[in-house]
Amino acid sequence: MAEIQLADVFVEMGDTLVDEFDVIEFLHVLTERCVQLLGISAAGLLLTDGQDTLQVVAASSERTRLLELFQLQTDQGPCVDCFRTGQPVSVADLPSAGRWPRFTAAAAEVGFAAVHALPMRLRTEVIGALNLFDTNPGALDRDTLRIGQALADVATIGLLQQRAIRRRDVLTEQLQTALNSRVLIEQAKGVLAERLHLDMDEAFALLRNRARSHNRRLSELAQAIVDGSEQIPSATATIRPR
Amino acid sequence: MNADRRMRLWSLVVEHTHSGPVAVEHVCAAVMSAAGVDSAAVAVMVCGTDRESMYASDQVASELEELTLTLGEGPCVDAFVGGPALVADLTAGECLVRWPVFAPAAAHAGVRAVFALPLQVGAIRLGVMDLYRAQPGDLDREQLADALVLADTACALLLDAAQRDRPRADGRWPEPAGPQHPEVHRATGMITVQLGVTVTVALIRLRAYAYAHDRRLRDVAGDVVARRLRFDDNAAGGEDRGGS
Repeated sequence: MAEIQLADVFVEMGDTLVDEFDVIEFLHVLTERCVQLLGISAAGLLLTDGQDTLQVVAASSERTRLLELFQLQTDQGPCVDCFRTGQPVSVADLPSAGRWPRFTAAAAEVGFAAVHALPMRLRTEVIGALNLFDTNPGALDRDTLRIGQALADVATIGLLQQRAIRRRDVLTEQLQTALNSRVLIEQAKGVLAERLHLDMDEAFALLRNRARSHNRRLSELAQAIVDGSEQIPSATATIRPR
Repeated sequence: MNADRRMRLWSLVVEHTHSGPVAVEHVCAAVMSAAGVDSAAVAVMVCGTDRESMYASDQVASELEELTLTLGEGPCVDAFVGGPALVADLTAGECLVRWPVFAPAAAHAGVRAVFALPLQVGAIRLGVMDLYRAQPGDLDREQLADALVLADTACALLLDAAQRDRPRADGRWPEPAGPQHPEVHRATGMITVQLGVTVTVALIRLRAYAYAHDRRLRDVAGDVVARRLRFDDNAAGGEDRGGS
C-alpha cells in the first residue's frame, strides 16, 4: 500500500473527530487520504441537500477545473446514479462506456479516464457519494474498493459527529450545516481571491494553511474573513500573488 | 427533480397571492400546506442580534415568536446561529434539558412540534422560518424537502425585496439563494471587497444585477469570478440600484 497506512488514516480521522471538529476540514482531509491510500488521482465528496440534489462539499484538490467536474455530477454522471441506487458505480474506461456524454467530455478535458462512485449510507438512507477519479483507465480491485467504501463510511460517521442518530431530522440538521459551511468557504475564497489577487485554489490553500498554522477551525476563520473581523495579510500568503 | 419541486412549490406560493405581489406570508401559507403544519412565522434579524417578527400566520405563531424573543432560547434561536432545528416533540426529555423554559411554555401554548429553518447563505444570516404543529412527530422526507425549498424561496424574496417592491411581471420564481452554484458564492465574496460592503449587500447587488440584465445568476457570477465584470466599475451599470 502507498506511503500511508490504512490504520494511520483511521487513527487520524478518530483524532479529528474528538478534537475541535470542523466538518469541511475533516472531509477535505478524508478526500486527500483517499487519493493517497487508494492510489487514485482525485477524490471528491458530494452530499444530498435534502431536495433531491447533490452538492459538492469537499475535494482532494480545490483546483477550479476539478471542482467543476465534481459539480457537473450534481446533474448527471456516476455520482447521481450511485446516489439514486445506493450502489457503487465503477467505470473503468469512460469513453468506451458511452454514458453521460457531457460528463465524459469534461472528465477527458481534465485528463481522467476512470471514475468510481461509492455510496455514503446510513442504514436505509443514502446521504451522498464518494467520487474517485483516475487518470489511468482500469477497474479498482476488490480490496481497494472495500477500503474506499470504508472511507466513505468514515465520512458518514464524521458528518454525524458522534451524535446518536435516532431520527432522520438530526441527519438533515447535520447535512444542512455542512452544506452551509461549504458556501461560507466559497464566500471566503472570493474575499481572499479579490483582496490578494489570487486564484480560487490559491485562496483556498491560503485559508487552509492559515487555519492550520493558527489552530483555527476552517469555518470559523472563513466566517471571520467574510465578515471582515479578520484579515490575512498578503505577506503571509504562501503562494506568491501574481 | 429539484426543478420540478421548485416549480410545483412556486405555483403553490403564487396561488396564495391571489394575483398580488409575492410576499413572505405567501411562502408561509405554502409551507403550511406543503409540510402539513398548523402555523408558520418568519423572523428576521436586522443588524446583528435583534430578532424581529416579520410575519406570523396566526395567534399561536405570534405567541411562540414572542416567547422566543422574550426567553432568548428555543429551536428558533438555535436555528439562527446554527443549522436547522427539527423538533418532533417538545415534551421529550432532551428538549426540556435543552430549552428548560421554552419547551414547557410552548407545549402549554399548544405546540408539540417545531421545525426552525435558518434563512442563511454561508455567512449571510437573514433570519429564521419557524413551523409549528400541535401534533408531535417528524416531518416526512417529502415535507422536509418542500420546507427546505420554501425556506430558500423566503431567503431569496428577502434578498430581492431590498431591490424591488414587485415580483417579475412574468411570474418567474426568484433564483434560489442556497448552495446550488459555488461561483455565486465566490463572486459574492469578491464583490464585498470591490464595493466595501457586507456579504449580504454583495449578494443583493449580484442578484439585482442579474435581474436587471435578465441573465442567469450563475452566468453573471461566472463573469465576476473570471474577472470579466467588476462591481466597482461604473461602466458595468445596473448594480447602482441602492441596497447598501
